[in-house]
Amino acid sequence: MIELDGVSYRYNGSVALGELSLRVEPGEKAVLLGANGTGKSTLLKILAGLLAPTSGTYRYQGEAVDPKRLRNAARNRRFRREVALLFQNPDAMLFNPTVFDEIAFGPRQLGLKDVDDRVRRWAGALGVAAHLDRPPFGLSGGEKQKVALAALLVLEPELLLLDEPAAALDPRSTGWLVDFLADLPVTVLTSTHNLSLAPELGSRALVLGEDHGLIHDGPIEAFLADPERLVAANLVHIHRHRHGGLEHRHYHAHDWE
Amino acid sequence: MRREHGLLLGYAAAVIAATLVHDPRALAAGLFILLLLAGRQAPALLWRAMRAVLIFNLAVSLGYLLLAGLRQMSPWDTLLLINLRVVVLTLLTFLFVARVNLFRALDFSRTLTYLLGLAYSQALSFQRAHGDFRLALVSRSPVRPRLRDRYRSSAAAAAWFIDKGLVAARETAQALRARGFFND
Repeated sequence: MIELDGVSYRYNGSVALGELSLRVEPGEKAVLLGANGTGKSTLLKILAGLLAPTSGTYRYQGEAVDPKRLRNAARNRRFRREVALLFQNPDAMLFNPTVFDEIAFGPRQLGLKDVDDRVRRWAGALGVAAHLDRPPFGLSGGEKQKVALAALLVLEPELLLLDEPAAALDPRSTGWLVDFLADLPVTVLTSTHNLSLAPELGSRALVLGEDHGLIHDGPIEAFLADPERLVAANLVHIHRHRHGGLEHRHYHAHDWE
Repeated sequence: MRREHGLLLGYAAAVIAATLVHDPRALAAGLFILLLLAGRQAPALLWRAMRAVLIFNLAVSLGYLLLAGLRQMSPWDTLLLINLRVVVLTLLTFLFVARVNLFRALDFSRTLTYLLGLAYSQALSFQRAHGDFRLALVSRSPVRPRLRDRYRSSAAAAAWFIDKGLVAARETAQALRARGFFND
């Protein structure tokens, strides 16, 4: 479904993504791991056809994709219907006067007949049906995240790209999201730097290192069991612990901070 | 005196001069000199300056045209003067920012450097957010968004920026107060 061949991205003269080559097959649920600033959001934006790689090729369903190629109306229409990106900041995605209009935006653009049914079904699935007549701007961060997700899922995409989807969620909503995504019959690539959450979001890990290159592509359990790689990826840290009278140091993650 | 300090003084003097000069020919000459100084960057900087002032100047110019029409007086000299002055000041600022390291220019004052750091970090964060607002609309649009949708997206972004700006300003003021900046 996704093929990246030597994809790199430079921004203001700096490397944001090293030369990445990888494949994602239909139905896979993969996790994109990496410390802040390693290029996770940039990679997701390239996969969503919003940024053009500085070098290398990105293919979706065998067809090269970049913003220039998506100027073709028919190609853009198909791609945008099939590939959806949830931005880390849900506010960036919400601009309609009501939650109903927000979720109905995509279906209306495509001239679908069953807009009302779709909106109510997905609003119900995401637990935001009670807010359909409210403006999205006054909702809590978690509710906005759910509305943004409903606005993407209403088009029933085949590839869902999620940029730190749990960042604005409380623990209860995070648990709900994990269950919801597990049951979703689409290909999902989720970025996170939360090591506790990562194994719940997919069985395969794509890990970006601080040099912006791919330092692991394989089973997530193998990566999480490899302290040297966790340290190299800056995903764990070391500091002193005190347990009663005992004091010692070891690597660990503080995921919920 | 370091080069950046000299350029800062020159910039301040040029701003004052552009504000005091009321002859459109002198302002036009100033604009010409700025374009010469900008060299190969001139077209890009002039385009940025024109875009930055377009809506504001258009609103002011139309308002003045209406007023002049009601009072039955010729608006053209004033309109030329106002628009030239705004373009000159904007281009001058863009040229200054493009050529001078502001942190070095203001390093004679710890307070100014600190305020510049705060403003700069806010600007970078807002620049990233602005990019996300723009890309999110593209990402959510299987077909080209209508003008109404673009306006709505821009309005939502503007409201978000105002809200964030107010919160950031409040927090910055509290942080400055906590560090003793407002102590007499």
